[in-house]
Amino acid sequence: MSYEKEINQRIEEKKVLPEKLEISVLRYFWQSNPVLGKKRDSIPRFLRKLEVFSNFSENEQRILAKYFHLRRFGAGETIFKQGDLGVGFYLIYSGYADIIIDSSDSSTSNSDESKHIITLEKSDYFGELALLQEMSLRNASAISRQGCELLGIFKPDVEELINQYPVIAAKLLQSVSLIVANRLFSLTKEVEELKYKITSLEKDSDGHN
Amino acid sequence: MAITKAVQKRERFKLGFFISCILVAFLGLMAMPRISVPLLMGYVIYLIIYPAVPTLEKLGINQTGAIWIVFSSMIFFSTYPFVKIVPTVTAEVENVQYYLPKIERYVTTKYNELRREVKERTSFEIGDKYFFQALDWVRTKSGGLLLNIPKFLASLLEWVFFIPLIVFFLLKDGKSFKRGILKLTPNSIFERFYFLSHQFNKKLGDYIFAKFVEASIVGITITSGLLILNVRFALLFGLIAAITNIIPYVGPIVGFVPALLFALAEYGSGTTLGAIIVLYLVANAIDIAIVFPILVSKVVDLHPLTVVVSVILGSQWLGMIGMVISIPVAAALKLIAQEVYKEIYQE
Repeated sequence: MSYEKEINQRIEEKKVLPEKLEISVLRYFWQSNPVLGKKRDSIPRFLRKLEVFSNFSENEQRILAKYFHLRRFGAGETIFKQGDLGVGFYLIYSGYADIIIDSSDSSTSNSDESKHIITLEKSDYFGELALLQEMSLRNASAISRQGCELLGIFKPDVEELINQYPVIAAKLLQSVSLIVANRLFSLTKEVEELKYKITSLEKDSDGHN
Repeated sequence: MAITKAVQKRERFKLGFFISCILVAFLGLMAMPRISVPLLMGYVIYLIIYPAVPTLEKLGINQTGAIWIVFSSMIFFSTYPFVKIVPTVTAEVENVQYYLPKIERYVTTKYNELRREVKERTSFEIGDKYFFQALDWVRTKSGGLLLNIPKFLASLLEWVFFIPLIVFFLLKDGKSFKRGILKLTPNSIFERFYFLSHQFNKKLGDYIFAKFVEASIVGITITSGLLILNVRFALLFGLIAAITNIIPYVGPIVGFVPALLFALAEYGSGTTLGAIIVLYLVANAIDIAIVFPILVSKVVDLHPLTVVVSVILGSQWLGMIGMVISIPVAAALKLIAQEVYKEIYQE
C-alpha cells in the first residue's frame, strides 16, 4: 500500500495521523545551511539586489552573472586613468572607489590640480559610457580606496552576449541606456540652471553699469 | 602611502609574471613545431566552425548539445572527402611521375630550340650549365616530394587523431580557458589586453573564414572547369590552385605554373591550352574582383610589402600554416604597435 493510500485510509478511519512536515521550518533550516551561506553573496544574488537590473528575470540574472568579471584592486590602486581608452562598465561588489578628475588645463589658475568628485560604495556603478561609445575615452580616473572588488562587463562580453542571448543583451543595454539617460537628464537640468544663473548675473552686471 | 607602494610593487610583479608567461608560451610553440602545427590547425578549424555553436544555442539547444552537433558534423563532413579525395589525390600524384619525363623532354627541346635561334640571330651561345642545374634541382625536388608522401601521410594520420581532439576541447573548454587567462591578467593592462586580444581573435577568425571560402571557390571553379575541358589531373590542379591561393600575390601564379607546363607538354599550344589559360584567368578574376573585396580586404589593411614580408617570415617559421596565419598576425601586431605608439607618444 502506498503512503498516500495509507494516509487516506487513516483519515477515513479517523485514526491519528503521523506528524506533519513543516515546510516553512524545513526551508528555514535549508537556508541557514552554512554551506549555502557562502552562496548568499554570489554574483547573481548581488545583481538581484540592484535597482538597475530589476527588469531581469532570475534566470536572466544568473546568465548575465556569468559574463561579469570579478576584479580585485589593492588600496590606492588605479582602476582606470582619465583619458584612457575604456571598454568596461563596473559595479562595486565590495569596498569603495574614488572618482577623480584631473583638471590639468592651463587655463585654470592652479594647473595639475586633482579634484575629488565622489566616493562610490557597494552597489554603485561607473564607466557605463564605455559600453555604448565607440573608442570611448575615460573622462575621470577611478581609484580603489582601501581595496575593493569590482564586477566588470566589457565590450567583448556584450558582443558575445548579443550573439548568444540577444534578449539579455537588449535588457542590459536598456539598463545602461537608462543610467545614461538619467545622467543626461540631470545634466540638462544643471545646464539650464547654470544658464539661468549666467543670464541673471549678466543682467545684474548690466544694471550696475 | 606605504600600502600603495606595496600594491604598486605587487602589480609590477604581476605584470612581469604575466608577460613572461606569454613569452614562454610563445617560445615554446616556436620550439616545438610538432605540437604547435596541429595545435594551430586545430585552432584554425575551431575558428572556422565556432560561429555555429551560438547559432544552434539560439535555436534552443543547450551548449553541450550544440558542441556535440557541431563537432560530429565536422567529423562527418570531413571524413567523406578524406576517405574519397586522399586516395584519389595520392594516386594522381603517383601518376604524375610518369608524366614528369615527358614534361622534362618538352622543356629541354623548347630550350634547345630557343638556344639555336638565339645563336642564329645573335651568334651568342647561351650556357647550358644553369639550365641543367635547374632541371636537376626540379627533378630531385619533385622526386623527393613523391618519396615524402608516405612520411606526410604518417603525420597526417597523427593529425587525424590529434586535431579533432584539440578542436573538441577548444569548443568545450575554450571559454573557461579564456577566463583563466583573463584572471591572470594584471589590473593595469586588463581592459586593453582584453579588448586587443578580442580584436585579434575576431580578425584571425574572420580572415581565416574568408580565406577558406575564397580558396574553396577558386578550387571548385578550376577543378570543374578542367573537368569540363577534360584535362587530366583536374582534381590535383584544382587542389594546388586552392592551396596556393592562400598565399597573396604570388600564390595564384605559382598555382598556375604546374597546370601550364603540363598543358604545354600534353596538349601543345592549341585550343586546350588557350582554354586552360582563360579558365585560370577567369577564376582569378572572380577572386580578385568579387571574392577578395567582399571577404578579405575588410579584415586586412596592410601595405602590400608588409603582406609579402610577413608571408615569407611565416612560411619560414611554420611552413604552410605559417603562411595562412602570417597576415592576420601581422594585422594584429600592427594593432598592438599602434596601441603602444599611442601610449608612448601621446602623453
